[in-house]
Amino acid sequence: MTLAIKNLSMMQTQQSRNIIVTENLGKSVKTSNGTLHILSDINLLVTFGESIAIAGESGSGKSTLISLLAGLDTPTAGSISLNGKSLTSMDEDGRAAMRNQLVGFVFQSFQLLQGLTALENVMLPLELRGDKTAKSAAVALLERVGLSERLTHTPRQLSGGEQQRVALARAFVSKPAILFADEPTGNLDSKTGAKIIELLFELNLENNATLILVTHDQTLANRCQRIIRLDAGRMV
Amino acid sequence: MKPLGLAVRLLWRDSRAGELTILFLALLIAVTSSTAIALFSDRLERTMTDQTAEFLAADMVITSHATIPESWLEKATQLNLAQAQTAEFSSILIEHDELLLAGIKAASANYPLRGFLKTTTSDYLAETIEHQGPEPGFAWVEKRILSALKLNLGDPITVGEKKLVVSKIITYEPDKQGDIYSLSPRVMINKQDLQATGVIQPGSHVHYFFQFSGESSQLTEFKRWLKPQLNLAQRILDIHEDRPELGSALDRAERYLGLSSIVVIIISGVAIAMATRRYTERHLDATAILRCLGCKQRDVLWLFVSQFLILGLLTSALGCALGWFVQEMLFKLLRNLLPQSVANPGWLAVFLGLITGMTILIGFALPPLLRLKRVSPARVLRRDLEPLPTSAWLVYGLAFGIVGVLIWQYTEDLNMTVTIFCAGLVLLLILGLLIYLILILARRSLPIMPLNWRFGLQGLLRNNRATISQILAFTITLVAMALSFTVRSDLIENWHKQLPERAPNHFALNIFPEQLPTLQTDFKEQGIEGSQFYPVIRGRLTEINDVTVQKIVSKDSQGESATHRELSLTWTENLPEDNKIISGTWWSPEKKGEVSVEQKLAESLKINLGDQLLFIIGGQQLTATVSSIRSLQWDTMKPNFYMIFSPGTLESFPGTFLTSFYLPDSKKTYLNQLVKKYPAVTVLEVDLILKQFKTILTQLTEAINYLLYFALMSGFTVLFSAIYSTLDNRIYESALLRTFGANRSLLRKTHIIEFTLLGLVSGVLAAIISEGLLFALYSKALNMDYHPTLYLWIALPLIGAFAVGLAGCWGVRHVANIPPLRVLRDS
Repeated sequence: MTLAIKNLSMMQTQQSRNIIVTENLGKSVKTSNGTLHILSDINLLVTFGESIAIAGESGSGKSTLISLLAGLDTPTAGSISLNGKSLTSMDEDGRAAMRNQLVGFVFQSFQLLQGLTALENVMLPLELRGDKTAKSAAVALLERVGLSERLTHTPRQLSGGEQQRVALARAFVSKPAILFADEPTGNLDSKTGAKIIELLFELNLENNATLILVTHDQTLANRCQRIIRLDAGRMV
Repeated sequence: MKPLGLAVRLLWRDSRAGELTILFLALLIAVTSSTAIALFSDRLERTMTDQTAEFLAADMVITSHATIPESWLEKATQLNLAQAQTAEFSSILIEHDELLLAGIKAASANYPLRGFLKTTTSDYLAETIEHQGPEPGFAWVEKRILSALKLNLGDPITVGEKKLVVSKIITYEPDKQGDIYSLSPRVMINKQDLQATGVIQPGSHVHYFFQFSGESSQLTEFKRWLKPQLNLAQRILDIHEDRPELGSALDRAERYLGLSSIVVIIISGVAIAMATRRYTERHLDATAILRCLGCKQRDVLWLFVSQFLILGLLTSALGCALGWFVQEMLFKLLRNLLPQSVANPGWLAVFLGLITGMTILIGFALPPLLRLKRVSPARVLRRDLEPLPTSAWLVYGLAFGIVGVLIWQYTEDLNMTVTIFCAGLVLLLILGLLIYLILILARRSLPIMPLNWRFGLQGLLRNNRATISQILAFTITLVAMALSFTVRSDLIENWHKQLPERAPNHFALNIFPEQLPTLQTDFKEQGIEGSQFYPVIRGRLTEINDVTVQKIVSKDSQGESATHRELSLTWTENLPEDNKIISGTWWSPEKKGEVSVEQKLAESLKINLGDQLLFIIGGQQLTATVSSIRSLQWDTMKPNFYMIFSPGTLESFPGTFLTSFYLPDSKKTYLNQLVKKYPAVTVLEVDLILKQFKTILTQLTEAINYLLYFALMSGFTVLFSAIYSTLDNRIYESALLRTFGANRSLLRKTHIIEFTLLGLVSGVLAAIISEGLLFALYSKALNMDYHPTLYLWIALPLIGAFAVGLAGCWGVRHVANIPPLRVLRDS
């Protein structure tokens, strides 16, 4: 009993801990016509295991926000910390290492390496970490997503849905603390997209990861615990 | 639509965006190098032609034992050829009770047509350059004449019946032939005084030289007209017909330079093709939009072709200017090795550079560009719609056609063009296949490689064709440079090696029999090591087994030249050193009337053991039986003879003696004493001739090496073309890897591995091919001993790995720094 209470307490503590914290986060770029403010005053707290949908019209800054949260880009204003570590004070190699340890990605256009097989694409994050179990872990995950027969096929030999499943396997092979998904069904038909979403949420639950999902789809957004709306670079 | 205006606008925008940089650079290098090589070759060829024309004192000479028909001279006049004449004969001079056999040269007013004479009037004064010979009534003499006949400048000298005044000392004569007339001390008189000497009588042994110079097309026409009219005793001398050692060296140099140029052009062409392919791929979307908006297929093609033509013209013009500058720099760098006066550059070579540039551009860029004609307008909705690649027949056909034409331009020989083209194609195919097999092996070994190596190798395996092109380009360049460097070094080293340290470096000829004992004593006293003294009798081979030799021998063979002149005949009891009996037996001392023949001459004249050879010696006939065939070493600096007779065969004929000896630099002054004491003796300073040969060899190979650096630069453009054609892919992959946590260090390591391997494979292949070619060259062409060269196996792979590794990593240096955000942006 005591142990159960202790575990529950730990879970609750963990859950109440913020994995992402942003303060007055902003991103501006200089253009020939002046300064363009893509994001302004983004203050966000994301707790462990939370699922958040980022919604908004085209050009509202969704992709920019997700790129900042994932450490793919650096803000021009404000600060951001990931798992208690300040992203803004890290150099690119530091952010890369952090991404390798904590983050998984699923992209709209799959973003598989064309020269690698499905197995090699999935192995990639673990190999970069120097994990000797990369192959067995990748095989297991590809089986999990139903692609055990396609291990040696290259992306050209896979359909869109199959490529996205490979991408999902790759995203989860490193057991990420946070999963970023940018319009994961944007390039798929609705039937295939629905299957992918189911798989995404199943895997996320199994891994107990925090999910940050960018989507236009309101139904998909509603499946998340929280929806953040962006309009003209600001949270509304 | 105003196509040209749009083309110029697009060209400007693309160039500002950096889209055309690599294409511009590839074409610029191709045009700069081909123009520089064309100009350099042109100037070098004309300089060497001028130099060798100096050796003949004209562009072309007819030699004859009699005067030539007036019609020949009239023909030459019609063709605007400048003319001069000399007549050479031997004559005994008698002054102050001293006798001397001299070589008299009577020169007409225009002599020499090329080059110059040098004279002096005192040991203490500088030489004067003379552009024509002595005036009538005067004679110029070699210094030996003055000392031998106890004369001074201003004294009279009688040649035949003509009294002349010695006015100058000749120190240099451009066309001193290597025969008995030039080996005797020289007296030069004016042709107008020849008749008065009374020396020219029927049956006199006089050599006439009729010299011509002018435009090469006129000379060629004259030669063509003349050749069928020549009799057996008449010959044409020019840089190709005579001085074959110079003529063939010049031919070889021209061909080697031309073929080096072709290597550069081919490699640059590959770079241009790769750069254009990338350019095409990056313009597929824009082309689809143009098509969607109503632009016709041929208009689309013209839009891009016209951009390339404009770019080509501008780049070619710049390349020609740079090429001019580069060849000027080359000549300045090689100033010490080249003659003082070098021919001026010709505009035709510049124009050819421009034409070559445009030809390369059209030949290698057009096939990829043609793809743009086939872009479907539906691509605006479906980016996966890609136009079919241009037919391989067109791509390779055009490229091969251009290369074939270029090779033919340099060789001017269809057979040789076909041979080089086919041999080159076979070599490339075999090499390409070998490299392809290496890549297959590499692909198979991927799973067992560590991560860095796997990514590095995958960089090479990304595009087989591009990788094979790069490796071929670097391999060929490294082979060419290795051959050039190795052959030159080995030739000089071999040459030094086979000559012992104190090998004879002087020849003494025309030693009269009565001078022999005293000369031998003098040599002994001076500590001069000499070879045996060989008797020399001049005679001509006229019949073999009662058949005239001209009917046996084939034209332009070694044997043919041996039948057109008198040979130096000798006799000896013992087989000379370095001579080896191939067939037959050496004679026993009492055998008379036997002759031993040199092997190559015997083959050329189809002489066998037991054959009867008829010689004419001093108007008398002599028959000898061939008792042996010998091989000998011509380059030992010892006297060597085509014909050696058994003792007792030639002793009744008047002759002289010759020997060779070693004289160190410290004792060179002895030569003055020698000449003073034995004024009729001719001394040849062979060491000076050898030094000149070494200089020429060094000069040629230096020039070739500089030209090969262009080939290396072209190789690097292929590398950079390949890098830029895959740059988008590399950036994308790098960004994706960075997204998943790869740091810059990992990415840099993969690049280092990729390019170092590329260079290493090129170097190893180059070492293999170089060894094969060196073996063939040494054993078949140069008759030198072949030894595998260890340094090639070390140097070439290392140089390849280092140079290509460095260049490649520099080319992709920014890839590791691109932020991974590109991943999201591109999706």
